[in-house]
Amino acid sequence: MRDQTIMLVEDNPDDEMLTLRALKKNNILNEVFVAHDGVEALEYLFPDSGQAAAGLPGLILLDLNLPKVNGLEVLRRIRADQRTRLVPIVVLTSSKEQEDILDSYHGGANAYVRKPVNFADFSAAVRTLGMFWLLLNEPVPEVIPPPD
Amino acid sequence: MILTVSKVKVSPDGLAFVDAAPDALVCVAPSGRITLVNAQTERLFGYRRQELEGELVEVLVPEAARAVHARQRAGYVADPVPRPMGAGLQLTGRRRDGSTFPAEISLSAIDTGDGTLIAAAVRDVTQRRRQQDELERANRNLASFAYSIAHDLRTPLRALAGFSAALIEDCGDGLGQVGRGYAERIEAASEQMSALIDDMLHLSGVSRAVMNVRPVDLGAQAATIAGRLQRDSPERSVRFAIQQPAWVRADLVLVRTVLENLLGNAWKFTASRANASIEFGTRADGADGHVCCYVRDNGVGFDFAYVDKLFRPFQRLHKASEFPGTGIGLASVRQIVERHGGQAWAEGAVGAGATFYFTLEAEEI
Repeated sequence: MRDQTIMLVEDNPDDEMLTLRALKKNNILNEVFVAHDGVEALEYLFPDSGQAAAGLPGLILLDLNLPKVNGLEVLRRIRADQRTRLVPIVVLTSSKEQEDILDSYHGGANAYVRKPVNFADFSAAVRTLGMFWLLLNEPVPEVIPPPD
Repeated sequence: MILTVSKVKVSPDGLAFVDAAPDALVCVAPSGRITLVNAQTERLFGYRRQELEGELVEVLVPEAARAVHARQRAGYVADPVPRPMGAGLQLTGRRRDGSTFPAEISLSAIDTGDGTLIAAAVRDVTQRRRQQDELERANRNLASFAYSIAHDLRTPLRALAGFSAALIEDCGDGLGQVGRGYAERIEAASEQMSALIDDMLHLSGVSRAVMNVRPVDLGAQAATIAGRLQRDSPERSVRFAIQQPAWVRADLVLVRTVLENLLGNAWKFTASRANASIEFGTRADGADGHVCCYVRDNGVGFDFAYVDKLFRPFQRLHKASEFPGTGIGLASVRQIVERHGGQAWAEGAVGAGATFYFTLEAEEI
């Protein structure tokens, strides 16, 4: 497993704890930064000029239904910024409304996964996501050549 | 005696008839001048008929729309076929006091020998428009209600299922067998509720789905579904008799759901039968342009005394331990068939199989 931070954007403390537990149970031991709403997520990714940037996460797990700035808006702002536009983002949410799925893909999400209610299924989903995005998938090279 | 009102000949009986009409009737000459109005026109627009006759018809149209109306009126005179005016548009009438109301207007032409008169029937649709708005608002509320059920109820359910699983895994030894049994029940119940929520959303989706009605071969659809059922449980031996083709006019996605539910039920309720057989076909006795379709099985059947409960959401006639399910399938079937203007009903008896009927619009070949 590469040494990359996972950013979990999740406002519900139960879902947060279950996701962290599922990561641990599946031996995905990467550091996890939890943002509890859209504002915290954006502050982590785009710190004020005075503060040091924390480095980009290797994977963002993004809930849609968030207080303050919602998930789709977080997605939009991440994709609109040169620094973060290539970071893998998996939308991880309760909804399977067509509109949410379409909006997420149009917004530039790399994947859309509906959180299963059954914990064994949920744990398997988290394992698959971790394995794929942090192990199997080739990450974006560190030095991104400027476009054109 | 014949009264001649500006080239339209109307007998006294005819006048009384025109006056009794529930719609405002306005007769207009090719010049755009009003030649005749009825009593309802006086009530609806607030003019006396002497004030209107001889005026340009645009006096009944809001100022902003008058120029367009005059142009389109000329167009209608050139090609006067009976039709609703401004189909799909929101039309507005203007009363004498300047107030306006939403209107529905039908046009037709009257040939008078020298020149064509245009007859317009105007109906105030304020009440109907208000009801439509209310209905649309209620539907929007229902949609957002369903959405919040999907989202907001599922999250605590995941916590119930997840933490009872965690309890068993992490603290199972301390719980003992009885305690683990309780935790397993919590986990199973939360998953059951999750399935119910999904089905409820599905049912509300069925009533909201946009319908695209076209010819569908139900026989071919039934054969595909039967093949899939057989593939998923290769150990079962079921005789299928499927009529092909069986053309109807319906929304493909929705009627496929009907067949999936009915054939899936037939499959489920014949599981204990050594010589299980499932039949799909049509009968010619469907009323006025409809086809009567049926799915028949020789499974465990049902008690006909409870037939009314069959099609209600979440009502089940069998124990969940005998036959799994949430009781939403037949409710969806009825909902879909009724949205198509058809009917769904059932016949059966305990131990003697069941037949489910539904009618759909016939496809003329």
